[in-house]
Amino acid sequence: MVQILISSPEEGSPGEWMLIELQGEIESRQNTGLAGSLMGDLHYTKEGVPVLIVGHHILYGKVVKLEKPFAVLVKRSGHQEEDGNAMETGEAKPSTNYQVTALIKKKIIFKTRPKPIITNVPKKV
Amino acid sequence: MRTLDEVLATLQIAKLNVDDLKPVIHCLSFGENVSSGDYCLMELDDTLCKHIEAGKSLVIRGDKDEHAVLCSEDKTYDLKIADTSNLLLFIPDCKTPDHFPEDLPCQNLIQSQISGFSSSYWELRRCRPKVKKLKKLLMDNTYEGPDGENEKNSTEQMYSTDDLLETIQASEQELLNQLQVIHACKIEGYWRILEFDYEMKIMGHITQLVDSESWSFSKVPLSVCLEELGPLEPKEMIEHCLNCYGKRYIEEEAGEIYFALNEDKLCRATAQMLLQNAVKFNLSEFQEVWQQSVAEGMTTRLDQLKGLALVDQSSRPETIFLLKVEDLPEDTQERFNCLFGMREKWTEEAVAPYIRDLCGEKQTIGALLTKYARTSLQNGVKVYNSRRPVAT
Repeated sequence: MVQILISSPEEGSPGEWMLIELQGEIESRQNTGLAGSLMGDLHYTKEGVPVLIVGHHILYGKVVKLEKPFAVLVKRSGHQEEDGNAMETGEAKPSTNYQVTALIKKKIIFKTRPKPIITNVPKKV
Repeated sequence: MRTLDEVLATLQIAKLNVDDLKPVIHCLSFGENVSSGDYCLMELDDTLCKHIEAGKSLVIRGDKDEHAVLCSEDKTYDLKIADTSNLLLFIPDCKTPDHFPEDLPCQNLIQSQISGFSSSYWELRRCRPKVKKLKKLLMDNTYEGPDGENEKNSTEQMYSTDDLLETIQASEQELLNQLQVIHACKIEGYWRILEFDYEMKIMGHITQLVDSESWSFSKVPLSVCLEELGPLEPKEMIEHCLNCYGKRYIEEEAGEIYFALNEDKLCRATAQMLLQNAVKFNLSEFQEVWQQSVAEGMTTRLDQLKGLALVDQSSRPETIFLLKVEDLPEDTQERFNCLFGMREKWTEEAVAPYIRDLCGEKQTIGALLTKYARTSLQNGVKVYNSRRPVAT
């Protein structure tokens, strides 16, 4: 049987991250992949309503407290010693384990249909 | 990296008035490693969240052919992957308006990186620990005393607590609880189950001593037991059996350790000893022999045998046979199939002891029966039968 450890961070409590939930998928415009690309601007109205501008769309959302919080786990491949002696004989067995990087207690969910932005108005320079 | 001018220009194109918005703007971009798949999301409940915040760890346990479970120090959860049709982005630096500083003079841009995204997450559901395997493992090498056969040729695998955690899908606390339930004891660092006859032999010595000393069953002194019976059996075994069949307490005045023997447990064990030697017994004959076999002063009652033996009320004369709940399948549907395969219709009273351990955290026996069985009336009595055709 396998035992995979999920450990909490060594110093203090894990930080808190945000979750943004979108319906559908995100594609990069030139199919260059998402890594490193800009995604969009997140604004909030004076009433606190989140507004996301992604590409040619505006989405209006809602901040929701999660009934069931999430833990963000990061996979680590480490070497697990069998016992103290293993370190000397080099008999460590490679193992996977996870670490809790952060907790997520609320999310911004965008459920409404995105409004298209019409851009035939020339941008003011 | 986006500049404020670019952000404001976009707002203008989008026909949003900057005065209607708060002055904190997050420019979201995907991090370099966003597609690496090293991150995943795990849904928690309140208990687990506090557990993690307290710095405690969790362990996933499972064999190749088993469903994985997640264990804290004292609870076990089924682990499943839940797929959604939505995209979940997780972002370290992203604030909600309640955390914005008050009264900012102008727009603030926060460059936030999306660390990862997923459309699925790990879903946890509290479940019963899978401990049925435990007794089977330990029965391979039962303990019959220091001179027992198994002690001389010890080629059989023996299990310490850590060894057991390597093979049983349960939390440590649940494992230790189950070890206590099956009367296991630690001998030289390894968990062992006593051979039933050996256990009964020791209890026989103890009850005989109680009789000859005219003690009350609820006040059996440990020290005298160890002194008188020490020559016959190892002291650790005597004390272990007293712990299994009695409740330990300290008498206020002299600080002496006593045990209050559990009559029900002792009568039940005696019944097991009698029943395991035959397929079934004539009920009234059994009841007579049983009462005669227990220690003087103890009273046998059929309700002491719940989950151990079953009375067949349809046979003439009525019979009784051994049926141990721990020998039945661990999976709920399989358990019901097995029970209905044995007997087509059950009253709630008869079936309850054989399904009680299946109940989830807040589930009642009634709810379980509603889900897995169908009711009907037989001679004016409500009985339960299978929802599906079962070969009897």
